[in-house]
Amino acid sequence: MAFENMRLRQRLMAIMLMTSASVLLLTCAGFFAYEFLTFRHSMHRQLSTIAAIVADNSTAVLAFKDRGAAREILFALKAEPHITEAALYDEEGHLFTTFPDGNGAEGAASVPLLPAADGFRFDESHLSGFQPVIQNGKRLGTLYVQSDLKAVSERFRLYGAVAGLVAGVAFLLAYLLSRALQRQISMPIMALAETARMVSQRRDYSVRARRIGDGELGMLTDSFNQMLNRVQEQLSRMELLNQITRAIGERLDLFSVYQVMVGALEDNLPVDFACVCRYEASAGKLTVTSVGGKSIALASDLGMQPHASVEVEGNSLEKCVQGSMIYEADVAETKLPFAEGLVARGLRTVVLSPLIAEGSVFGVLIAARRPVDGFSGLDREFLRQLSDHAALAAHQAHLYGALQQAYEDLRRSQRAVMEQERLRALGQMASGIAHDINNAISPAALYTDSILERETNLSRKSREQLQTIAHAIEDVAATVGRMREFSRKRESARALVPVQANRCLQQVIELTRARWYDTPQQRGMVIKVKTELEANLPPVMGIEGEMREALTNLFLNAFDAMPEGGTLTLRTRTVADQVHVEVSDTGSGMDEETRLRCLEPFYSTKGERGTGLGLAMVYGVAERHGAELVIESEPGKGTTMRLVFPMAKEALVETPAPPPPQPPSSLRILVVDDDPMVAKVLKETISADGHAVTTANGGQSGIDAFISALRSNAPFAVVLTDLGMPYVDGRQVAKAIKDASPGTPVILLTGWGQSLLEDGEMPANVDRLLSKPPKMADLRQALAACFPQHAR
Amino acid sequence: MRARGYMADGALRLAAKILILAWACACPGAWAQAAPDKEHRVKAVFLFNFAQFVQWPDSAFAGPEEPLVVGILGTDPFDAYMDEVVRGEKANKRPIIVKRCRKIEEAKACHVLFVSNSEMPRVETILAALKSRPVLTVGESEILYRHGGMVSFVTEGGRIRLKINLEAVQGSSLTVSSKLLRLADVTAPPRD
Repeated sequence: MAFENMRLRQRLMAIMLMTSASVLLLTCAGFFAYEFLTFRHSMHRQLSTIAAIVADNSTAVLAFKDRGAAREILFALKAEPHITEAALYDEEGHLFTTFPDGNGAEGAASVPLLPAADGFRFDESHLSGFQPVIQNGKRLGTLYVQSDLKAVSERFRLYGAVAGLVAGVAFLLAYLLSRALQRQISMPIMALAETARMVSQRRDYSVRARRIGDGELGMLTDSFNQMLNRVQEQLSRMELLNQITRAIGERLDLFSVYQVMVGALEDNLPVDFACVCRYEASAGKLTVTSVGGKSIALASDLGMQPHASVEVEGNSLEKCVQGSMIYEADVAETKLPFAEGLVARGLRTVVLSPLIAEGSVFGVLIAARRPVDGFSGLDREFLRQLSDHAALAAHQAHLYGALQQAYEDLRRSQRAVMEQERLRALGQMASGIAHDINNAISPAALYTDSILERETNLSRKSREQLQTIAHAIEDVAATVGRMREFSRKRESARALVPVQANRCLQQVIELTRARWYDTPQQRGMVIKVKTELEANLPPVMGIEGEMREALTNLFLNAFDAMPEGGTLTLRTRTVADQVHVEVSDTGSGMDEETRLRCLEPFYSTKGERGTGLGLAMVYGVAERHGAELVIESEPGKGTTMRLVFPMAKEALVETPAPPPPQPPSSLRILVVDDDPMVAKVLKETISADGHAVTTANGGQSGIDAFISALRSNAPFAVVLTDLGMPYVDGRQVAKAIKDASPGTPVILLTGWGQSLLEDGEMPANVDRLLSKPPKMADLRQALAACFPQHAR
Repeated sequence: MRARGYMADGALRLAAKILILAWACACPGAWAQAAPDKEHRVKAVFLFNFAQFVQWPDSAFAGPEEPLVVGILGTDPFDAYMDEVVRGEKANKRPIIVKRCRKIEEAKACHVLFVSNSEMPRVETILAALKSRPVLTVGESEILYRHGGMVSFVTEGGRIRLKINLEAVQGSSLTVSSKLLRLADVTAPPRD
């Protein structure tokens, strides 16, 4: 196993054992080297010492030539087994005795026969030398001693054995010690490694390594645990951020994005105070938009309740609205009005984090805590990231709102266009129908007028019946007229005239009788109509038809609001210089939203039955009359619609109608109408006034008749032509007549009312305009107007 | 330097003595008087050697430079050889001289006194006179030894051995080196 791959424990042991072994080896090597160097020296000295002692002991034997004693002395050297040979020489240098054989002069061959110089020398295998034998300064002879070097090798063998034993014991001890001691190092590291493994495998950052001891390993464990703490904290922050981001990502309106964010901050970070302010660069101030639920009381204390403003200038918030996060570790040290409030409420630390979208700050997130320096770097980083996310979400919510608004606008204008198109078609259809009806009732109207005017001997009953017919015809004409109003453009400047509001109301009651009296009765419910009209109500300036229309709409709405029946009260009264006209019902009433929106065009609560134009029209009428529309409503109680008109400046003077102008009699009149019935009735009624009437049943024939009469010097004094005719219409007729005889007046009759005429102006070549069904009075007035000189 | 000088000195004297010895052997007739038998030559050397192995009290000398005296009382068996042996030698830095004595009084000034066999008849007188004096009495007669002589030469099988009367030595103020004692026969002489 390579050393790098060994387990920590083995590695530690290997290191310790290798260290011990090398120390032991070095020590032994040093010892051996020292011994080798010193042993020869010590051996030399030892041998010299032995020789000196033996020599000293040998003085007497040499002096007295006692070989026996000499031998004894030399034999004492046996005690030193390494001494191989020894010899004594007498004063003259003769061999005296030898060791170990004890012979004399002819002793061991190896002993030198004569003593050499004193001193000891090493040769290959021996240490030998000569020692003088001296007594009292007198040399008595010489001692020769020779020692083999086996002592060296023996000594080294012994040392080797001892060193080996010591090394073995030391190594064993080192092994046992290292086994015991490596745990001191390896256990904490293994514990750390185990913790790290658990963390990485289980992704459980809550486990902690057990701390063992106070040394670096203890510190390492502490650092590791701290790192885990940090990771765990960071993870929880990330999770919180994730959670908040997800929560605010699901919100599509700014308010709830902010609310979710401050709520989550309060609950989970947590903070003691959290709010979001909107920043308007132009106003230079922050407006509080959202305050956390738990911070509301605190916010009111601080004057930071929703919609409150905080000045940017003077509060050192410039840096924040320029896009940098502000961290005040101790707000007490910043002498700002804004901060004083915080300090007074015990909030010492505040973070202001800008909300940035598309490079500009649009809001600020404010978070505060009570302790000084209460936000760690991690907290601040978290708030910064949260601000970024929130800003993004808010921006998206804003974009979504704008998109939604655009979509709503588009949908509304599409609906408006469609509605207009529908109304246009309806109007055209209504116009056609009106034309036909007007044509159809024209004879009835003319004849009724004519009979009532001329037949003086009618019974009273007949006269009453005829008058009812006349009223009915007028009602039909009015109904047709109202129908036409759908598509008719408003006459821009219809003159306002004094109108009796009470009379208008009476008329409306009559007109709508079918709706409030007949229909509900069929369904078994009762609508009571009460009138509380002020007598002698001053007139108001207005257009009677429009007022009637407006009131009719209010009536119809009131009926619709009372599907179960109820009471409709009509009220008029004078308040200061205003005239109040009220329509009250006891119906379902309107909630706030409906009340606010009910005037919008196409806003309807009636579903398919409603066009959403009724009240809009009422409002338009009120505007034109300089009147105010007041709506009082309560759900379940009913609704009161009040029109407040300014009082008419000039009082309505009921001047008796001036006598109708009398047109000149015996006029030659050409009547052009494609409807023979109408032509016939016109001829008869006009002829009755003494005029000579010629009829033509088409545009072209009318023109032809006029031309021929002009040529035959019997021209028509006036031409009465229908507007709507096939092939050649009234306008062409009028043009042809004016071309032929510019002085001849042309009166145009129309069954379409004025809707097809542009801007209510008199069409070209036409002197007078009459709508169908014509009335005798109108006809006479028109003729009289054409000939003013005769009227005088 | 000292050692070498000493050794060189020793070697020179050794060579000189060998030369003299060889010359004496080669011309026995010319040096007949100065050439005693081998036994007495050895004994002469021994006498001289005693000076090396025996310690005298300072009172035995008049001064530090005073010579150590080897006396011969009675007939001199060494002839001139004794003089040859001590010539140039020193014992504890003292020169050694040989003094031949006739009278007991003369012998009192010696440090080593060889009592010749000729003096045996008055041995008791001699020893009594020298008793408790720092004089090493040496002889070659059993008689001397028996009467309280300190050292006696005994010839056994051609070898000369020493006998030392420890009682006598201890009675004087002399100290005999143990090295010498281990060579000698220290059995006390039989009492008469």
